[in-house]
Order: sequence, then C-alpha cells, then structure tokens
Amino acid sequence: MATEAIIAIAACIAVLGTGIGAAIGIGRATSKAVESAARQPEAAGNILKILVLGASLVEATAVYALVVALILLLIR
Amino acid sequence: MHIGEELAQSIQPYEVFSFNLFGLRIPVTDTVINMWIVMAILIIISVILTRKMELIPGNKQNLAELFVEFISDFTKDIIGHNAKYFVPYLGTVFLFLAFANALSLLNVVPNFGIRPPTRDINVTFSVALMSVIVVAYAGIRFKKFSGWLRSYIEPMPLVLPMKIIENVIRMLSLSFRLFGNVLGAFIIMEIIYILMPIALPAGLSIYFDLFDGILQAFIFIFLTTIYISEAVE
Repeated sequence: MATEAIIAIAACIAVLGTGIGAAIGIGRATSKAVESAARQPEAAGNILKILVLGASLVEATAVYALVVALILLLIR
Repeated sequence: MHIGEELAQSIQPYEVFSFNLFGLRIPVTDTVINMWIVMAILIIISVILTRKMELIPGNKQNLAELFVEFISDFTKDIIGHNAKYFVPYLGTVFLFLAFANALSLLNVVPNFGIRPPTRDINVTFSVALMSVIVVAYAGIRFKKFSGWLRSYIEPMPLVLPMKIIENVIRMLSLSFRLFGNVLGAFIIMEIIYILMPIALPAGLSIYFDLFDGILQAFIFIFLTTIYISEAVE
C-alpha cells in the first residue's frame, strides 16, 4: 500500500513540474506573439505558424510527463 | 478505485477476434477495426465529394478543392517549388490523423467503444516512422544519394552521431506528442462521461475531440513539412 501511495505522489510530481514549465512557456510565447502581431498586423499569418510550432514543441514536454505518469500508474 | 479500473480498461486496446495465418495466431484489436472505420469514412467522403467533377465546381467539389488548395498552399510556403511531390502524402496523413483523432465523437455504440485509434502507441509510431522515411526519401531524391550522405557529416564529421540520433529523436517526439495528446484528451473525456454523462460532455467534446484532434494532426504534418524542407534544401 505504501509503495502505491509513493507511486501516486511520483506521478503527481512528474506532471506538476512539467505542467508549470509548459504553462509558463506557452504563456510567454503567446504574449510575445500577440505583441508582434499587434505591431505588424500584415505578418500575423507567419506569426501564427511560428507560434503553433513553438507551442507544440513546448507542450511536448508536458505530454511526455503525462506519458511517464501513466506508465507509473498503469503499468506494473 | 472503481473509476480507475474502468479507465485502465478503456485505455488499453483489447482483442476483438483473431485468425490463423501459416500457423501464426494474428490478433485483431479494436484499434485495427477503428482504423477500418476511419478508412471507410474517408473513402465514402472522397467518393461523394469528387463524383461528377466539372470544370466550374459546384458545392461538393468546392469543398474538396478548398482542402487540396489549403494543403498545397501551406506546403508550398514552407518547402518551396518542390512541394508538389509531397502534397499527396501530407494531405493523406492529415486527413487520416484528423479523422482518427476525432473518431471518439462517434462513441455511441454500447459494448463496443469507437475510440480514437491514435490512442494506441503502435499507430502513432508507425505514422512517425513513415514520416522519417519520407524525409530520408526527400533528401535522396533532391540531393542525390551522395549529397544525402554528405549532409550527415556537414559541417564536420564530428556531428555524425548527433545527426543519426536526431532521426530517432524526431520519430519518438512525433509519435509521443500525438499519442500523449490524444490519450490525455481521451482520458479527460472518459472521466467526464463517468462523472457527469448529461449535457457537460457535449460542450467539452467539441474542444477535446474535435479542436484538439485536428490541431494535433495539423501540428504533425507541420513538423513533417519542416523536416522535409530541411532535407530538401
């Protein structure tokens, strides 16, 4: 029982750390993208593309943590 | 505990039936059957949309042309004038992944879950493997075989192991990104179905199944296009 509790806490920590990181990263990227799109509205299409690319790369870390947490919880 | 067990059951692909081929027992999981459903939907839609094609397109044909134009403009922006060789592959992968990710919208049959096939790591890994092969093919096709080999030791031979590892990392990151995102959205929707089956899933399903699924499919082909443009240059 004790090991199960420790495993649950480990999964929580894995998601927590990368969740905070990904949230900060995507937030910063989006705020900068809004700023530059407001400054140069004609480049908004390109900025959107770059933003989606960057956000997907940042989000990947959070997704890896999700996969790690699921492996910890479900696969014994 | 009871929710956890139900979730663990719905995440894992289960065997529907199996057949024997040369003495080997080949199991057919629900992932394969869901992929057949996706294929059937895609074939039916494409046949309906492209029947009786005319020079001046009508409503149905306009829809198909809209999609083809979108993919071809998008790839041309990134790859350049060689884009036309890769438009069919990228469009096919995008359509397949988008319909596969959004398949959980049809999850209405009792006792047989129509679930997104991309929640199985084998499917996403196969698609990512195909992408890496296409990138290698693009390099060989447009730089000749010697140029493609030389691109591994440029600017200096020291980077050779890094470039080889890069291919493996690309494959892993492409497959895990898609798999994790789809599985995450799927788990959230399953929890909502268990906790509150009325009204709430209708709104959230639009975000988690439709929007997230199509966005992830788009990101997948976006990254593939960028890798191809790197290989072609």
